[in-house]
Amino acid sequence: MALPLPPGLTHAEVAFLAEMELVTVVPRQRLESIDLLSGKTPTLRPPHRADLPLWLALLLKKQRRANILPPAWLHPDSLRSILLHETKLDPEAFSPPPPAPARADPARPGLARRQQQQQEQRESGGGVTLSAPFLASCTADAPAGYLPYHWLEVAEAMLAHAGDDVAASLGSGSGGSGGGGSGSGSGSGAAGEVRGLLRDLVEVRAAKMRSSAAKLEGFGGGLMSLRGVGAMELAESRGFVLGVVDGVRKIGASAEAARREEEEERMGEGVDEGESDEEMGF
Amino acid sequence: MSYYDIDSILTDAEKIPCTFQLDIPDLGYLDNTPTQPLKAGTKINLPLWLAEMLAIANTGDIEGKSFVTFDLPPAIGNDVVQALKADPRAVPLRDQSAHFYGLATHMMELSEEKELAAALRKTFVTRASEIALHARKVGGVGHKVKADEGSNLGVGGAGEEFLRGLDEWERKLFRKAHEGAKAGKEWMEGIKKH
Repeated sequence: MALPLPPGLTHAEVAFLAEMELVTVVPRQRLESIDLLSGKTPTLRPPHRADLPLWLALLLKKQRRANILPPAWLHPDSLRSILLHETKLDPEAFSPPPPAPARADPARPGLARRQQQQQEQRESGGGVTLSAPFLASCTADAPAGYLPYHWLEVAEAMLAHAGDDVAASLGSGSGGSGGGGSGSGSGSGAAGEVRGLLRDLVEVRAAKMRSSAAKLEGFGGGLMSLRGVGAMELAESRGFVLGVVDGVRKIGASAEAARREEEEERMGEGVDEGESDEEMGF
Repeated sequence: MSYYDIDSILTDAEKIPCTFQLDIPDLGYLDNTPTQPLKAGTKINLPLWLAEMLAIANTGDIEGKSFVTFDLPPAIGNDVVQALKADPRAVPLRDQSAHFYGLATHMMELSEEKELAAALRKTFVTRASEIALHARKVGGVGHKVKADEGSNLGVGGAGEEFLRGLDEWERKLFRKAHEGAKAGKEWMEGIKKH
């Protein structure tokens, strides 16, 4: 009653949080390191890439002092393969989140270990968690073919404010990979292609969210798997999902209470029988 | 469920069929016979809250008879449940009762109906995904003006019939799903501006 806001984060709040994601920029001007609350930014020297928070990158982009390098998963080929995964390979579940960052283990060549474990070892349980804002899932090094937690927000922000950079990277990207399929046309057309693929993904995943509600059908199977769902999608369907789960809980409440009673009775009987058995034995 | 929950109060006012087990003097007016006592075996529709009280209350009778026994109301009667089992989407639940699920869960607390619980659960989740589909459609390109006015039920086309048949629980669910979809759409459109 006090606040008209529903539980959870609103879209604007999620988009605000997403601006903390690190993205890779190619600076056009020198810029000294800035002392931010989240740590120092790297010194920007023009030809060298650097990782900056999204909000700072967008600011520099608007001032024409840097170009943003879109992450590999934003490439149309990557988006198309994710879309294929969502529709054909696994029409039930959402496409998996990116794997935890791994680094080659110097002690055992050929094997990689998760960075998280290594860091925990290094800091001896310092509580380092590599969750959404601290994972470098939107930099140029991020793996293709996986959607990170903030995929929709970051992608939309990049398309809206740095559409020319997205389009430019497509031209060089497909040329570099050699026969990636799309012989990208003009710049705006390529950005439009990315935008269209994103729309398709949003629709496909929204349909999955709906059908996953219908999976709550049987008793005992009251689980909705939300693995791989992005922050913005959660913000959008939080009310619906909570409503469905709560409704199912209410419908099953009386049956659940009856089942518990039965179980308790059976437990009680079991104890009694045990005692009587002992008595008979003696 | 809150004490002041209006839906809970309205659910308690739903009538359910009861059969009196005892002769009760001076209650004949309930059966349109004010001069005579109410006979045992009379069938009368009583509101849920009253029926519950009378069914549970101890009469002081040695045989342990209660004042009334109640049956399932027609809204969750056998034919409705059979229809729901056949196709949950085709039944306008609101025509049965505006508080269909509230009534059904309350009845299930009073008398154990395992089959009913399973059928209801299937109905609810199947209709929920349908509701989400409609909630997303509303406020799309064609209905932008209506969505901005905040009319949640102003949907044209095939969905209208279905949406009119939603009970209160489902309407709430529809509203939540619609608010989410609408906020998402607004954010998408506003992202260019800042």
